[in-house]
Parts: sequence; C-alpha cells; structure tokens
Amino acid sequence: MTENFKPKITLFHCINTVPEIGGFSLTGQDNFELQTVKLACSSMVKDVFLLRAFEAGSDAVIVLVCPEGQCRYVEGNIRAKKRVAWVRNLLDEIGLGGRRLSLSNISAGNNVAASQIIQNVLKDLEDLGPNPAV
Amino acid sequence: MNMKASSRLQEILSNGEFAVTAECGPPRGANPEVIRKKGELLKGWVDAVNVTDNQTAIVRMSSIAACAHLLQMGLEPVMQMVTRDRNRIALQSDIMGAYSLGIKNILCLSGDHQSFGSQPDALNVFDIDSMNLIRTVQTMREDGKDMSGFELNAPPSMFIGAAANPFADPFEYRVIRLAKKIDAGADFIQTQCIYNMDRFKEWMKMAREEGLTEKVHILGGVTPLKSAGMAKFMNNKVAGMDVPEALIDRMAGVSKEKAVEEGLKICLETIAELREIEGIHGVHIMAIEWEEIVAEIVESAGLTPRP
Amino acid sequence: MIVGEQKPILEIKEIIAPYKKILILGCGTCVKTCFAGGEDEVAVLASALRLACKKDGKEIEIEEFTVERQCEDEFIQESAPAISRNDGVLSLACGAGVQAIARRFAKSPVLPGVNTMFIGVLEKQGVFTEECSGCGNCRLDIFGGICPVTRCAKKLLNGPCGGSQNGKCEVNPETDCAWQMIIERLGILGQMDNLRIYVPPKNWQTSLSGGPRKLVREDHMI
Repeated sequence: MTENFKPKITLFHCINTVPEIGGFSLTGQDNFELQTVKLACSSMVKDVFLLRAFEAGSDAVIVLVCPEGQCRYVEGNIRAKKRVAWVRNLLDEIGLGGRRLSLSNISAGNNVAASQIIQNVLKDLEDLGPNPAV
Repeated sequence: MNMKASSRLQEILSNGEFAVTAECGPPRGANPEVIRKKGELLKGWVDAVNVTDNQTAIVRMSSIAACAHLLQMGLEPVMQMVTRDRNRIALQSDIMGAYSLGIKNILCLSGDHQSFGSQPDALNVFDIDSMNLIRTVQTMREDGKDMSGFELNAPPSMFIGAAANPFADPFEYRVIRLAKKIDAGADFIQTQCIYNMDRFKEWMKMAREEGLTEKVHILGGVTPLKSAGMAKFMNNKVAGMDVPEALIDRMAGVSKEKAVEEGLKICLETIAELREIEGIHGVHIMAIEWEEIVAEIVESAGLTPRP
Repeated sequence: MIVGEQKPILEIKEIIAPYKKILILGCGTCVKTCFAGGEDEVAVLASALRLACKKDGKEIEIEEFTVERQCEDEFIQESAPAISRNDGVLSLACGAGVQAIARRFAKSPVLPGVNTMFIGVLEKQGVFTEECSGCGNCRLDIFGGICPVTRCAKKLLNGPCGGSQNGKCEVNPETDCAWQMIIERLGILGQMDNLRIYVPPKNWQTSLSGGPRKLVREDHMI
C-alpha cells in the first residue's frame, strides 16, 4: 500500500448476517476507514446507494448477504445479487472498475468470515488503488 | 383453371403431360453471361425455368431482367416475385412490364426475411402478402383492371403459380392454405423439395380429399443431395425443410466419392414415386448452382424428350 | 405501455459532453415501468455520470428531476425552473416526451437518453414484448386477438409463410410464429373458419405510412 493511501470501504450488511460489525476484531488495523450501513434485508441495497457510496469517496464497497435459500424474506439476497451484478457492470463501463464492488454470502454471526472478506478487499485495493473519481 | 393465359407451361399441363420445371438464380452483378450459361444448360431439358427474386434476400440482378435474358434465348421463364421488397404499386407495374416483355408465368411468394440476406439493415415492404399478390394477378388478368379498378390497356394474362410447403407447420392447416391459394387464383403449385415422401403423400391425400387436385396443377419439388452434410444442414438450418433420419443415414452410409451418386439415386426414386401420385402433374427440379445436373436427372428419369 | 431502453452510458456521456450543467429529466409513466427513465433510473444515471466525468477530470453539474408524464404540458411545466437553471436537458422519456419538452422549451437543448422501442406489455417479470404497431385500423377480432401486423415479421394477413417451423418464426428461433398462435387461438375459440377467409390488402393510410397522425377531439375542446 502506498504511503498515503488509506482506503475507505463502505460495507452494506443485512442485520441477519452480522448484527454489529464493530463487534469483531480487525487486529490492530487502523490503516483503513470502514463505514457500515445496516439494512433490514440486503434487498434494500438499491443501485443508487452503491453508486452514491463511490461518489462519497469509497474506494471499495462490500455487500454482505445471507446464504442463498436462507433469506428471511425469501429472495431478498437474490435481488441484492442481481443489483450488485448490474452495478458492477456499470462500473466497468464507466471505467471505475466493477471489481471495487463485491457481494458475499455469510452465515449468521460469522464474524470471522466477515473479517476475512474485508481483508481480501484490502488486498484487492493494493492492486486497484484509490477511487479514480474522487 | 383459367382459359386466358397462354404460356407454354400452361399448355403442357392442360394437355395432361407431366411437366418439368427447373430453377436458376440471377447473378450478383450486371453481367448476364451467367444467366445465359445456365439457360444453355437447361434448354431443351425443361418446359420452363423459374428465376428467383433476390432469393434469401441477397441482392441479385432482378428476376424480370434475368427472365428477359432467358426469353431471348428461347427459354420459357417463370418469374418469381416476392412481396418483401416492393409495394403494390411496384408489383403491379412489374407484372405489366414483365408480360409486355413476353414473360407469361409468375410465381407469387412472400419472400425470405431480409435479416437472412446481404442487406439486413434494409426496411422491408410486405405491403401485401403472397395471397394478395395471387389475387391481384388474377384480377388483372380476368378483369383487365389493376388494384385501383382502373381498366388496363391490355391485361397481363399470366399463368399464376404459388408455393406450397407440406413440411412446414402446422401440418393440418397446410391443406386449408392450399385451398385458399387456389381460391385466390393459383393455377399451379410448386412444392418445397421433398425428402419425407410419407408426409408428402399424406398431404396429397388430404388435398385430393378436399378436391383440390381437380382445381390446380401440383408440381412436386426435388433437390438432389450432394452429401450427408448437406442433408443435415437442410434439416437443421433451413426453415420448413424435413429430411428424415433414414435419408441422412443413407447419405452418410456411402463413401464421400459415392455421395453425389447416392443423392442422385434418391432424387430419381423421388421423381419415380411422384409420377405415381394421383394429382401430381409435374416435377420442379431445384438444383441451385448445379444446373448442369438437371439434364442428367431429366434423362435418367425418362422424361425426355420434352414436348 | 411504451417500452424503451436507456442508452448505453458511454453514449449518453458523449451526448451531454458539450454541456456543463445538465438536468436529467425523468418520466413517471411508461419508461418508469420498463426501468428506463423513472425517478430511480434518473438517480442512478446521475450518480454514474458524475463518477464517469469526475474520473476523466471533466467538470459537470447534474441536477435530477422527474415529472409524472412528459407527454402532457400540465406536468411538463413543473420542470420549467429546473430547465432554466441548466444548459441542457437529458430527457429519459420516450421520443414523444423528448419532443414535447423540446417544443415547450425551445431555447433549451433537449437530448434523448432513452431509445424508444415499441408499444408493448409486461409478459412476465423483467420481460417486455412488442404487441401493437399502431396501424390505425384494428382487426384483432378476426385474428383471435393476436396481431399479425405487429407480431408476424412479414405482416402477413393470410399467413403463415413457409418458414414457420415448430411454432417459431424463421427470423428468430425464440420468437413464436404469430400465425401458429393465431391458428391455435382460433381453434380454441372455435373460429377456424376465419382461416379460410381471404383477407384483402391492408389500407395503410391509417398507419404511419400515411404521414404522422393527429387525433382531434372537438368534444373535449373548450
């Protein structure tokens, strides 16, 4: 990571995945900023919110949803998946890079998995660099 | 059946003779030599030659012009006319022009969609359909009037043909459609090329039962196969074509060198069967871009000399 | 409804390139239902364009506004203040709406953001199909409620053609042959005799072929 690059990540999560992100440890890492947005269901993640997260300066956006077949509202996580795919495509078209946006399924309360996902994204950002539209 | 047209093809059919027609496509360019060469290959072996009209929506020399070239050589053309590219104004105009040049047979078709051809970006016309075109020619001939009711200085007394496809869907409806074309004014019918003889015979049976074979001359279409690949292609990729597995296997069962010979054998068998079917008044040989084989087919089928 | 598709974003970016302040004007009726130009789509497009322009170091200010329908003056005039504030208007309405805006706000450049496609219906979730071409002389009564002018690729009135196979159109194997459907429907209705009737050539004067059309209802004019 270059000296001055402190990545900003926005994380949208369904409250049925991890109730509180802050609750798990990100072992002594203060080299990035994390903003979280709680949703009653991941299907509430509208396209425009994902884009506005990038407009607000995020370098990467993560969406955490429940495992397929386990959505409390049946197909909410499928809708989220479709929307994320659509926005990824749009981000590629405008040259921002769809790779900056990701969706992952995690089972309820799996803080370890959530933590790992964030680590992976940070790794990706080493390649991708900062958001070019900031 | 009409009494006013006086084409050679009509005479032969009216006399109860088994007619033979073939087909050729005009060139992609302004040089008529290609058409003349094809004409030379067919002259004397067939009673009339169909000239296609921008077939598969690929731009070619116009049918009316190519027909005129064949006329000059002493051949009798059947001008094919599609409704895809011309509106009723142009169609009626060309019908009159064609007749004035001595073209006396017309085959009325809708035409392959332009998306298949060399100019898929083009706007299609389809102002009227093939059924309307048949009726239009009949009205021009019988009443001497165009579609607007105007009395023509001379009627185009064309012998009117239509296509029939016993192998397209829905099967049950195909005979109703044949009846409709006859009512609209069709004098003769040329069918899609036949490989599934059982299905064809079934269609003919239904046609006979409706009394249609009394009202129209049906010519069965044949196309000689050149390879198993060709048989498969036609079955899978060409709309409205039915090539039975047994026939594909038969073509695949011989060596590549023998394939053409086998294809010709099948063709001759088909023609022989056609001659036995009640209501079949002729054969239409479609050997596109292989016109030289027509002579051999006609001779081997015992259909020479032509009247 | 009128069905359209939003233009590719890079095409839109080029179209608005000459302008520094753009109003993206959405429409809450037809284009909203086909996800091309409603309020939500306006928001997404505005956001994406800002990102795209920022990335290229291009200055742009994008305002967002949506009206109920862009084909009626009563609703269009609500956008007057927003239009006057901007250099140009990117309308996400159908072609009729774009032209209505252009007509009323003649001094503002009005740009299309949607490719208007057809009059159609929502066949199932996410799928829109073309049903009517506005020929001006409807005979759906004799065709069992299926339009051969629109849904037959050759506009046959006495179809089908020889290319119909397995109930599909020769042009596209995924398109149902309209005449196959008409025949089946007439069968269900017990109206197969309709198929024996010769349908004469269509009078196209009532269609666009006769020139752009106008409907005047004096009884509704005060």
